[in-house]
Amino acid sequence: MSELQKSGIFAPKVIEEIQAKAESGLYSIRGFGTLRERRWPTFDDLTFLPCSLTRIPLEGYREKCSTKTVLGTRFAKKPIELDIPVMITGMSWGALSYNAKVALAKGAAAAGSSNTTGDGGMLKAERENSRTLIYEVLPSRYGINIHHMRVADAIELTIGQGAKPGTGGLLLGSKVSDRIAEQRDLPLGVDQRSPARHPDFLGPDDMIIKVEELREATDWQVPIFIKLGATRVYDDVKLAAKAGADVIVVDGMEGGTGASPAIFQEHTGLPTLAAVSEARCALEDVGLYGAVQLIIAGGIRDGADAAKAMALGADACYIGTAALIALNCNKPIYADDYRAIGAAPHACHHCHTGRCPVGITTQDPDLMKRLDVEQGAERVRNLLQVMTSEIQMLARACGKSDVHHLEPEDMAALTLEASAICGIPLVGTRKVFRH
Amino acid sequence: MAEIDAAGRSTREINRAIRRLSAESSKEITVRNPGARHNLAVAILDEVHIRVAGSVGYYCGGLIDGASIEIEGSAGWGVAESMLSGTVRVHGNVGSGAAAAIRGGTVVIHGNAAARLGVSMKGGTVIVAGNCGYMAGFMAQKGTLIVCGDAGEAFADSMYATICYVGGKIANLGTDAVLAPLDSGEAEQLEQTLNGYLPPSLRRAKPVAAEFKKVIAGRRLWNFDKRDWRIWQEAL
Repeated sequence: MSELQKSGIFAPKVIEEIQAKAESGLYSIRGFGTLRERRWPTFDDLTFLPCSLTRIPLEGYREKCSTKTVLGTRFAKKPIELDIPVMITGMSWGALSYNAKVALAKGAAAAGSSNTTGDGGMLKAERENSRTLIYEVLPSRYGINIHHMRVADAIELTIGQGAKPGTGGLLLGSKVSDRIAEQRDLPLGVDQRSPARHPDFLGPDDMIIKVEELREATDWQVPIFIKLGATRVYDDVKLAAKAGADVIVVDGMEGGTGASPAIFQEHTGLPTLAAVSEARCALEDVGLYGAVQLIIAGGIRDGADAAKAMALGADACYIGTAALIALNCNKPIYADDYRAIGAAPHACHHCHTGRCPVGITTQDPDLMKRLDVEQGAERVRNLLQVMTSEIQMLARACGKSDVHHLEPEDMAALTLEASAICGIPLVGTRKVFRH
Repeated sequence: MAEIDAAGRSTREINRAIRRLSAESSKEITVRNPGARHNLAVAILDEVHIRVAGSVGYYCGGLIDGASIEIEGSAGWGVAESMLSGTVRVHGNVGSGAAAAIRGGTVVIHGNAAARLGVSMKGGTVIVAGNCGYMAGFMAQKGTLIVCGDAGEAFADSMYATICYVGGKIANLGTDAVLAPLDSGEAEQLEQTLNGYLPPSLRRAKPVAAEFKKVIAGRRLWNFDKRDWRIWQEAL
């Protein structure tokens, strides 16, 4: 018997979604990030061209290939110096458990890298266990504290986030525990909606004044980062540079979130590959490429993604989801607890429920115990180190003694789209699209 | 009494001078010729009284903890933003987002306030002798917001647990803002707060405390509920 034909438009998943909306009367809110099949150009559409006769490789496992990463050389008196170019992005205490925050801090510190506070202020244990801690100033200003700002190694003024540019995040009531409510000055158990706009400036011109305020508040010592969700990257990066940023962070649409409307995760923003290309172009066009450092974020999974982002122009990469996966996110353990929240190992995006089976995105003390801080920190450290080794291996094969020397010429594009976006030739051709 | 002449000096130099003098245990510092400059006296963490003899730009007294700042003119946007404790007093008017995201302390405004007064405030007390513009108290979380005169449109929109009092007219209430009766003893407490920071001679509008309207969150936005679809649709 031939199989009955299903609609390609109203596919089974679409039918389920429509009926779920009709039942609940609520739009879908969830965590994790976009779940769409990747049909847009990505780092997978690029391939490295290691040395053969035209260039000489470095010995892959032996010769020196520096990974030292310096950020904030433009105006800050004390730029941050990291041993590696892979950093942990801002994820809030609230979205994440205490154990997860401390494990990320310890893991990053052990690998000689940085971590960032997130939309809920700084934890004491986070500062104590971090080597380099970036203090995020978000539109919500939850937990904002000048004393915390002044013990941070950099300040990140966040305008938007890749998973949901132009909108604030959510923290559903199940995660607004007594400690989180106190930290954020909120009533217990409310569905917290973070604002999209900063409360005290609106556009790029008054942001210049805000950046000066942050400089004054930290005595011009530490770098000021400006973080953008990837939308009109070419213009936004120029405006952020004009506002006096030392470092610009661009977060692509593949970036994660603790909780936000699914519609944003699936239908807003630019892919990370496009974001890095536009950002580099913008900095070159205002003559600040190299002077303002560029950090790329959004769906970076391994050393190959990171190396390609760096070859395209990033000075460093943030990882978020990958670091949580190192902490056991989506690991096939406690399978019954995944099922209880309507998820399954490898298919869990239920961060918003606060019932994370592996103790990462929860405020429940019993669930949180499932994440051992020391073991988690060790795995984060391992991941950061392995990713760094992968970047180094690719860089050495391309003949670079410093991972920051990777360049677009070290790659070819596997698809016409990637070629057009990145301005590097399609494999088998010599043609370059110019921006 | 220490003095700093701001004329011809950079913001950085002025703020450094303030920090140096307060570290040298000056208890009173006067800043002359502020010239409506931005970012004066930000992040001052000492218990020092700073008198600014004129008007200031954005973020004056922002991020302070413990300082007392008196602005003898008007202030631009975001005066006292994100302060933890202390007092900021403005003799004139203030721009938008005054007392934005403050977590403690007191902001006293002798004149009028522009839009989004006390936006996202997380604690502390804000007192305005005159009127305030639209969206005062927007998304405010905790603390007390007192407006002696009239309040503009969309007052107290989308609040969590801030308590607002308005002595004059309210143009209209924002989404989920509701009027509530004063509890017993609340009028006396309000009178006490007002007298402590704003004697009757400085109040333009002079309603007695018992006549203030109290506005709090109706709590309908505190948790998502499909029955509230319309208020979400119409929310500002």
